[in-house]
Amino acid sequence: MNQETPILEVRDLSVAFGPLVAVDRMSFSAQRGHITSVIGPNGAGKSTLFNLVSGALRPGSGAVLFDGADITRERPDRLVRRGLSRSFQITNLFAELPVVENLRLAAQVLESPWKALLPTSASKRTRDRVEELVERFKLEEKRDERAGFLSHGEQRRLEIAVALAGRPRLLLLDEPTQGMSHGDTLDTAELIRQVAQEASIILIEHDIDLVMNLSDNVVVMHQGRKLAEGPPQEVRGNPVVQAAYFGTQVHAEN
Amino acid sequence: MLESTPLVQSTPLVQPAKLGRVAAYEWSHRSAQVFIAAALVFTGVAVFVGDTFFLRLATEALIYAGLAMSVDLLLGVTGMLSLGQALFFGLGSYASTLVLKHVTPSFWVAMAVALAVGTVAGAIGAVLSIRARGVYFALITFGMAQVVSKVVYNTRSIGGSDGIIGIPVIKVNLLLFEVDTASPAGFFLLVLALVMLLYFGLAYLLRTPAGRVLVAVRTNEARVPFLGYQIRNARFLAFVVAADLAAFAGALYPMLRGFVSPELMYFNVSGDAVVTVVIGGLGTLIGPIYGSVVITALKSIIGTYTDHYPIVIGALFMLAVIAFPNGLMGAVDTLRARRKGGSP
Amino acid sequence: MGALVDYIQFVLVPQVFNGLTIGVAVILIALGLTIIFGLLDVFNMAHGEFYALGAYLGVTLAGRGVSFWLLLLLVPLLLVPVGILVDRALIQRVFHRKERHMLTMLLTFGLAGVMEDVFKAIYGANIIKPATPLTGGIDFLGNYFPTYRVFLLAVGALTIAGVWLVVNKTSFGAMVRAAAFDRQMAASLGVPVRRVYSATFAFGVALAALAGVLLAPLYSVFPTMGKDFILLAFTAVIVGGFGSVRGVVLGGLLLTQIQSLASLYVSPVWGDPIVFGIMVLVLFVRPQGIFGGKLGHA
Repeated sequence: MNQETPILEVRDLSVAFGPLVAVDRMSFSAQRGHITSVIGPNGAGKSTLFNLVSGALRPGSGAVLFDGADITRERPDRLVRRGLSRSFQITNLFAELPVVENLRLAAQVLESPWKALLPTSASKRTRDRVEELVERFKLEEKRDERAGFLSHGEQRRLEIAVALAGRPRLLLLDEPTQGMSHGDTLDTAELIRQVAQEASIILIEHDIDLVMNLSDNVVVMHQGRKLAEGPPQEVRGNPVVQAAYFGTQVHAEN
Repeated sequence: MLESTPLVQSTPLVQPAKLGRVAAYEWSHRSAQVFIAAALVFTGVAVFVGDTFFLRLATEALIYAGLAMSVDLLLGVTGMLSLGQALFFGLGSYASTLVLKHVTPSFWVAMAVALAVGTVAGAIGAVLSIRARGVYFALITFGMAQVVSKVVYNTRSIGGSDGIIGIPVIKVNLLLFEVDTASPAGFFLLVLALVMLLYFGLAYLLRTPAGRVLVAVRTNEARVPFLGYQIRNARFLAFVVAADLAAFAGALYPMLRGFVSPELMYFNVSGDAVVTVVIGGLGTLIGPIYGSVVITALKSIIGTYTDHYPIVIGALFMLAVIAFPNGLMGAVDTLRARRKGGSP
Repeated sequence: MGALVDYIQFVLVPQVFNGLTIGVAVILIALGLTIIFGLLDVFNMAHGEFYALGAYLGVTLAGRGVSFWLLLLLVPLLLVPVGILVDRALIQRVFHRKERHMLTMLLTFGLAGVMEDVFKAIYGANIIKPATPLTGGIDFLGNYFPTYRVFLLAVGALTIAGVWLVVNKTSFGAMVRAAAFDRQMAASLGVPVRRVYSATFAFGVALAALAGVLLAPLYSVFPTMGKDFILLAFTAVIVGGFGSVRGVVLGGLLLTQIQSLASLYVSPVWGDPIVFGIMVLVLFVRPQGIFGGKLGHA
């Protein structure tokens, strides 16, 4: 693909739940190698947008292009195989399984399907990926612990690691720092910066400082619509955004 | 309404129960080794004292253990409650019977045909059932077995309600030597070897990527598609392999008892398999084997006093569901961990 | 022309009537099933055995001289404490667990096995045929309708109406619907949720027992009688949509009419496959049932 094609392009995407239009003619694009953040008050439709892009929900109208190819209404498992992966706002791990098992499950997509019936341990590719992630996400000491027994911060880290394990080209991170302490949030920001070396990232985040620090581009959503889009400083200075979001909602949320 | 799991579902991370054996990627085969050793000792003693009755009974326990293992693969590993697994057991037994009686008295041909029938029937059953979840899946499997058993019951050409009797005794050719199905000890050892083969085969499957996805489906189905796996494929695989296991076990039945009847497909056979798995230990693979032995023993012991062993077994079963969700094997693991004085 | 009229009068009408009796039987059993599932999310695998329990209690009490008409009231009432006990002793114990659908299904399945064997232990495996409390028949437009079957239809209709009123028009029904809609919210509004659960389970079980008393003279009493209508009842609940009173009535009538009319043209052996086919088809096309919805939406 040509370098100018955005890694993700969303065109006029809409979905309604009964009378409620959760995402309303939303359009934006995310550039390759960038961290694009989607911000907005609670209920702005950010997570719904992620659900539409990742195949969890089907849009009513509009289109999603991944690396130039139409992926509207594609199944989530196919999207993962094509290189689009996501994490969840509410930790969504295999609580009964050990940390390495969570990672192995996610990493074994890297292996050829012909090896589906050979022992997992025979796959060097999977094994190496798991070891690499355990180390990078500082989970060495907890590697054999069940995911459900990890601390909240560790679970959030594992959540990202699982989403990253299959080497996606585009990673959707849904509030990775949700519920984290300030210190953990800073560590996570650093992790995300590292992850951005290997995958383009779209980030939903509530922590405005984090967003301003990390993002190459920011999309502001409000009531299902795009309010503004641009580099962080520009968006911060935008009077409409100020009024609708920074002005009132930030206080309400903190 | 209920079982329509939304794709994106928040799973609150409640503290999970003890790590089941299958959840652990590697688990010790100690219980299997102990079982084999005990079975060999039992054979030795039985041959020494000239017993045939208990050898026959134990063979039957092992055959039903095969059926229970197939329920374990569905329920304990993948999280699908089948209430009609006897259907495939029965189909396997009829396939093997018809081959032995009318085609050729060859053990291997009978087993191969039973497996083929199990695969085809399993694929059809899977198409009909795997779209449904939880209770609905259970009801479809229940209905399938009910319907097919009625059809068999009413089909004169395969014996109808009487079933088929007069299945010949055969010699099983194992290249180096032959085993006569009429020999209590010989056939017991053969069935033991086959059932343990099924166990190790399943244990192997659960260490492959495909097998791990089955475990993942039970643990947190909602996340599985977002790791790149289609749930339908996983459920299909589990269903067909389980049908094969049941058909395989069923194929051995007529060689032991010399007859088959539609009752082999009835609900109580399916139900007994579920009871066996829960009592033995869900998701442990070896639990169904121990469970089957325990239940057969209980039936035979209680049976000497009263015909009403289902009351005792049913009560035991409910107790297990409420208080020992990991069954016998869970209790063994807990004891072992406690003796080591450390982590499970 | 005359042949067609004869066909309708002597073939179709009796068959429809016959199907209607079975339909009422199925609905009476399925009503409790659907209510329990709609509220508690418990699929009561022992429901058929509670139906049998009602029949056996009826037989026993009738043997002690209790009149049939009193039994219709007494047996369901006797089942209420039994239902509460089962709910408290079994269902509530696993209700907080993650896999509670599966666990309650397993528990009630275990209970079914125990109950069936208890019947065998007490009454033996023999078929008991209670006397029909109403003999004779009614001639109507040249067709003969046995009085008891007509009575059964009337009582069935009354029971259905009564259940609908209880669910939709009483304060108990309102609490049940509130608890089914949102357990937490109902609790915070002062609904005694646990008691409502027990009461609902008992109510459903009592309905099954009423069906047992009513149907015993027609279909006899034996240990495995609970299994007889259960596939039809399960399917009626699925087709109707779990938790819907209207759905289960329509579903029950639809299924039994299809089965009954089909038996005119194909061997009755195909009755079960037809029912099963409908079950699979409905689950394929509309997993929430044709008339589906939460409890009280119908």
